[in-house]
Amino acid sequence: MSSDYEYSDEDVDYYDDEDEDMLSPQDDDSDPSDEEMDMDTFGDDFKVPQRAARKSYEVEHESLPQAAVVKLKAADIEHISGIFGVDASTASLLLRYMNWNKERLIEKYMDNASAVSVAAGISPPPKAPASSSAAGPERSQGTSSGARSAPAPKPEPFVCPICFDDSQTAFSALSCDHRFCAGCWNAYITSKIREEGEHAIRCMAEGCSTIAPDPFIHTALGAGSATRERFNELLVRHFVSSNPNLKYCPYPSCTYTVSCPAAASKSALTTIVPTVICGADATPPHKFCFGCAIDSDHRPVICGVAKMWLKKCRDDSETANWIKSNTKECAKCQSTIEKNGGCNHMTCKKCKHEFCWVCMGPWSEHGTAWYSCNRYDEKAGVDARDAQSRSRVSLERYLHYYNRWANHEQSAKLSLELYNKTEKKMEEMQITSELTWIEVQFMKKAVDEVEKCRMTLKWTYAMAYYLEKSNEKELFEDNQRDLEQAVEELSELLESPIDADAISTLRQKVTDKAVYVSKRNEIMLEDTAKGFLEGRWTWNVSVEGFD
Amino acid sequence: MDARLRRVNKEIADCKNDKSSNINIDLIDNSAFHLRGSFPGPKDTPYEGGTFEVDIVIPESYPFQPVKMKFVTKVYHPNVSSASGAICLDILKDAWSPVLTLKSTLISLQSLLCSPEPNDPQDAEVAKHYTTSKRSFEETARYWTQVYAGGSGSRGKAPARDPQKDEVAIAGLEKAHVDQFEALGFERSKVIDVLRRLNYRGANVANISEDKVVEELLK
Repeated sequence: MSSDYEYSDEDVDYYDDEDEDMLSPQDDDSDPSDEEMDMDTFGDDFKVPQRAARKSYEVEHESLPQAAVVKLKAADIEHISGIFGVDASTASLLLRYMNWNKERLIEKYMDNASAVSVAAGISPPPKAPASSSAAGPERSQGTSSGARSAPAPKPEPFVCPICFDDSQTAFSALSCDHRFCAGCWNAYITSKIREEGEHAIRCMAEGCSTIAPDPFIHTALGAGSATRERFNELLVRHFVSSNPNLKYCPYPSCTYTVSCPAAASKSALTTIVPTVICGADATPPHKFCFGCAIDSDHRPVICGVAKMWLKKCRDDSETANWIKSNTKECAKCQSTIEKNGGCNHMTCKKCKHEFCWVCMGPWSEHGTAWYSCNRYDEKAGVDARDAQSRSRVSLERYLHYYNRWANHEQSAKLSLELYNKTEKKMEEMQITSELTWIEVQFMKKAVDEVEKCRMTLKWTYAMAYYLEKSNEKELFEDNQRDLEQAVEELSELLESPIDADAISTLRQKVTDKAVYVSKRNEIMLEDTAKGFLEGRWTWNVSVEGFD
Repeated sequence: MDARLRRVNKEIADCKNDKSSNINIDLIDNSAFHLRGSFPGPKDTPYEGGTFEVDIVIPESYPFQPVKMKFVTKVYHPNVSSASGAICLDILKDAWSPVLTLKSTLISLQSLLCSPEPNDPQDAEVAKHYTTSKRSFEETARYWTQVYAGGSGSRGKAPARDPQKDEVAIAGLEKAHVDQFEALGFERSKVIDVLRRLNYRGANVANISEDKVVEELLK
């Protein structure tokens, strides 16, 4: 609030000047109220665009550059180190052990601090002092560059039990006192980080589960090494992947992270579609779904349904459907038979079972009525036919939705072509008419709009496929139809040839249509999103997260 | 000298000097990074009397990454692949420590032969055999030791006298069972294959109907 006031004050001064110029005859008494009014309107103006931008189909999220994530991580570490009274590197190990879940860590640590420390690899287990099976540590007393200085140094030279190099002089050990030379530590840590991408690096001694704290790793790797950078990156990655509020932008080589607490829980994903955009300055912007692995916008349909639909399209379950509707199964040996001609007296190639293709009953029941089936109502035959017609209907239903889905996807892909065509058209327009470059931008905007709406339409078909038949679904499909119709009309306008005289009318038409389409799209998204929040949609299959 | 080479040379020399452990490491084609290890089968096990050879490859980042080992000698053991010799042992994976040596790893393999871990199998069929009937498993393992690891075996039968008997024993099956299904007109090798796959052994025989076996044979 305070900053708002400060900011407004400056503006008030500005208005004051104006007031004095224009309204000098007025009483000074009215000024305070005017000031307040100005302030209020200004304040609202300042805030409204942000607040209004959040439609019910949009989700609150924040884009964080790498540095901000590092800061968040440091804040967590500081918090824990403050509460437990331990140093930052210990707090970091504790947090990493608990996957950055502060609440659970605090609870467990308060319960039994030493057990957690042992499990997190900070301190060695109480009973086993450093008596490893290896012969090395027994006679291990050399110059130590580690954090812990050797308590009783013996003059005997120490040979690193890994490289057996007696010329080594620098040795170090973790809190478990297993001593190794600096060269081996460096090679070991490097191989763990580079080859395994491991951030929890155990002591080199056999069976020892002490984990190397960050300063130890930094010292062992030396300043400015690339591996050290990689290690810090691994820590940040672990932090982000452990935190349900955070997600890396999935676009290649993008370093941004998005924070979206609203979509952090699984249950939230049944009511919202968390489409987010990362802060990278890219065209097109990095848009992805926070809730699932789809790296584009699948609004208005929720993640669970989108996933199901994609899986269905990918699966060869539809192949099976084809087989079901074009073939029949032998009633005896269940092998699949496609009838490719001939009469209805079928003999299974495999088991030699003879049956009637029309009624599916055994041929023997036909008696002497060869080649004309009069046993159509026999129960076994009826059942077999029913099962077949059911699967045929379901295939047709699927194809209805799939064809439309695929059509919009294809059209959206073709939009690149449309883009180029439009660009040429815009150039043409500039030459043939009086319009300036700015003025011909309406074409480009319209193309963008078409592409956006096609994405929405595409996913509405996936949604409609799974929606249970109801009044709600009918309304949904009405909205869908209106949007589709508008989009197709706009699309057609964009493809139409340009007549030099009619440019201004075309411009008017396209602009109007684009505004209308954009509105329809808004309504579609808005209404669907509201439906999720109100629990208005019912599914004809069981969807993850719904009962 | 390269640190890796120095360490491997020292390990090979240490192994040569140590006569008590009975573990040998030899060079293959004069490279210190591709070796052949061997050790005797442990006493009081089906592997007693055999000599087991292990192919050893020293990776670039040895000893910081684990050494790669697999059995060259065929071994009948739940944690060793009966086909490829691949070994399932924790210290060859994430429990590896740079202080472990070739010798200590080979000793670990030797003790793996003493104590199979059928709950974490490399070879599921062998593991099933082990859990179904330990006695029958041990018989087969002993037979494998005789045939492949050059062991005399405590039973002292000369191997490969009767090639048909061979096949059945190698699969760890009862001759009577194989004969029974062969008599139905199926090829002997197919019968052995199916029965092995179904784990047609010990108490399990009662659980598998003859029809089931025939059905599998017809596939």
